[in-house]
Amino acid sequence: MIARRGREGALTPTGPAIEVEGLGVRYNLRLTRKNTIRNSLAQAIRRDGAGGHFWALREVSFTVDRGESLAVIGPNGAGKSTLLQSLAGIIEPSEGRIDVRGRMSSLLTLGAGFDQELSGRENILLAGAFLGIDDGEIQRRLESIIAFADIGQFIDAAIKTYSSGMRARLGFAIATSVEPDILLLDEVLATGDQVFRAKSKDRVLELARGAKAIILVTHDMNWVSEFCNRAMLIEKGRVVAEGQPEDIVRLHEERSREARERALSAAG
Amino acid sequence: MGGATAAGSVLPFAPMSRSSLTVPVVRTSAARPGPVGLLAQAASDVWSRRRLIRYLVSADLKRKGRDTIFGNIWWVLDPLLQMVVYVILLTVIFSRPEEDYPLFLFAAILPWKWFSSSVGDAISSVSGQDRVIKQVQFPKIVLPVAATLAGITQFAFGFIPLTGLLVLFYSDRISPWLILIPVVAVVQLVFTLAFCLTVSALNVFFRDISNLSIHALRMWFYMSPVLYGASVIDKMSGSHRVIADLIRLNPFYSILTAYRALIYEGKAPDWFALGAILGVSLVFLLFGTWFFKKTEPMFAKVL
Repeated sequence: MIARRGREGALTPTGPAIEVEGLGVRYNLRLTRKNTIRNSLAQAIRRDGAGGHFWALREVSFTVDRGESLAVIGPNGAGKSTLLQSLAGIIEPSEGRIDVRGRMSSLLTLGAGFDQELSGRENILLAGAFLGIDDGEIQRRLESIIAFADIGQFIDAAIKTYSSGMRARLGFAIATSVEPDILLLDEVLATGDQVFRAKSKDRVLELARGAKAIILVTHDMNWVSEFCNRAMLIEKGRVVAEGQPEDIVRLHEERSREARERALSAAG
Repeated sequence: MGGATAAGSVLPFAPMSRSSLTVPVVRTSAARPGPVGLLAQAASDVWSRRRLIRYLVSADLKRKGRDTIFGNIWWVLDPLLQMVVYVILLTVIFSRPEEDYPLFLFAAILPWKWFSSSVGDAISSVSGQDRVIKQVQFPKIVLPVAATLAGITQFAFGFIPLTGLLVLFYSDRISPWLILIPVVAVVQLVFTLAFCLTVSALNVFFRDISNLSIHALRMWFYMSPVLYGASVIDKMSGSHRVIADLIRLNPFYSILTAYRALIYEGKAPDWFALGAILGVSLVFLLFGTWFFKKTEPMFAKVL
């Protein structure tokens, strides 16, 4: 244990890249989106016990070794995105622990924090600052990001004048500009036009080759078998199965077919 | 968790925390640092992300200068026009103004506008950035800090019309005391920052804070000596003692009276009162910072 948690971190040759132990993430249903004081008062008066907590993830444990690529699959609302958010440090675990060794980068769900009034170039700097990339590094990568995004002279125009395709390209170029040790991917692979999609897939593959570990969340089962050497099925916040990609994909498809049939017979 | 469903949405950034660069990062559900630890963390957050704060401030200023013919000239015109409205209202309709009423008024409107617009911007600074918060791991405290700092620029622009007024119409009121305006401004900034940190965190959990704030700020404006002077409150002490005492407890009583002493009366402000407000504001700032850091881990879940 002590030897594994070496001081050199990413440089330590031993130990898994990611180690998750008994991870649980709890959402407090009293404090949710678009809350108002009125709702809170009403809830406090009613004291409905049912509206207390919701576990988005519970008792999730797994490790990802160096060189491994793990696919996380499961139905909508299973907790896949919450898992990636926890790994990226955006959400703190309510219980358990996450041990991450190495520089991590993640392409999470769609939607980025571009400022509409700033130019493309300024948005690259802003994004870099949000991500905590230091100034010298982002300045060095500026030209390659601009070149990859292929935005031409618009790079100095305000982002609000961009087409959605241009925004997508710029976002992707920023997101993939730094070579990480650990790559978190969440269904961002199919975006933009055909040409850019091919280009972005190449880039993701390139990053994947360079990365020491990958976690991929997707609904596209082709990606699972193409990319990953291991898969994990999550349902309702719990790990259902873990193993060879083909087996897990088959299990997932069986279970979702059963769920559909159950829903149909319940409806009929 | 919305976000992903928004139409025409944009591709992601890559969250990558600088801290995870070389050192292994362990995140657990174990107890978070105590109050002192949280305050130290806040200080290092702000310092290590000062470049992000700078970008956010300049983005904010750019946003405010857009889409209007005059752009940033509005920062000069706004307080002047507001002053004109109140001068007309109080001299013509109520006909009981102080001597040199425009300057009397302007000396208080300028700092008040700074406070109220900073609060207005800061309230939504965190809840308005929900998409970034859910996708990138960064210290959220930079958001209200940047919103508060951006307000300083608008305040600074207000010195252009102030200088104009003094030189053109009230040159006899120019005094060396004007140099001390920044001292009062620092006291106000500490108070404003403390207030902004607190309300920006609260607004994540209760969105009605921003609705409420409009009315609370208007009430606060009338309860502060902007349109009237401290002498009016002294007279009130006889009839409505409680209200008069409440107005004097209001930090803006001392802050605005101090500005007015320097700009309008050309004399020393009440240093004791100003020092007391500074002390209270510093304590409030510690509280606001602690409160923000304490609630910060919940932001990504609630938004």
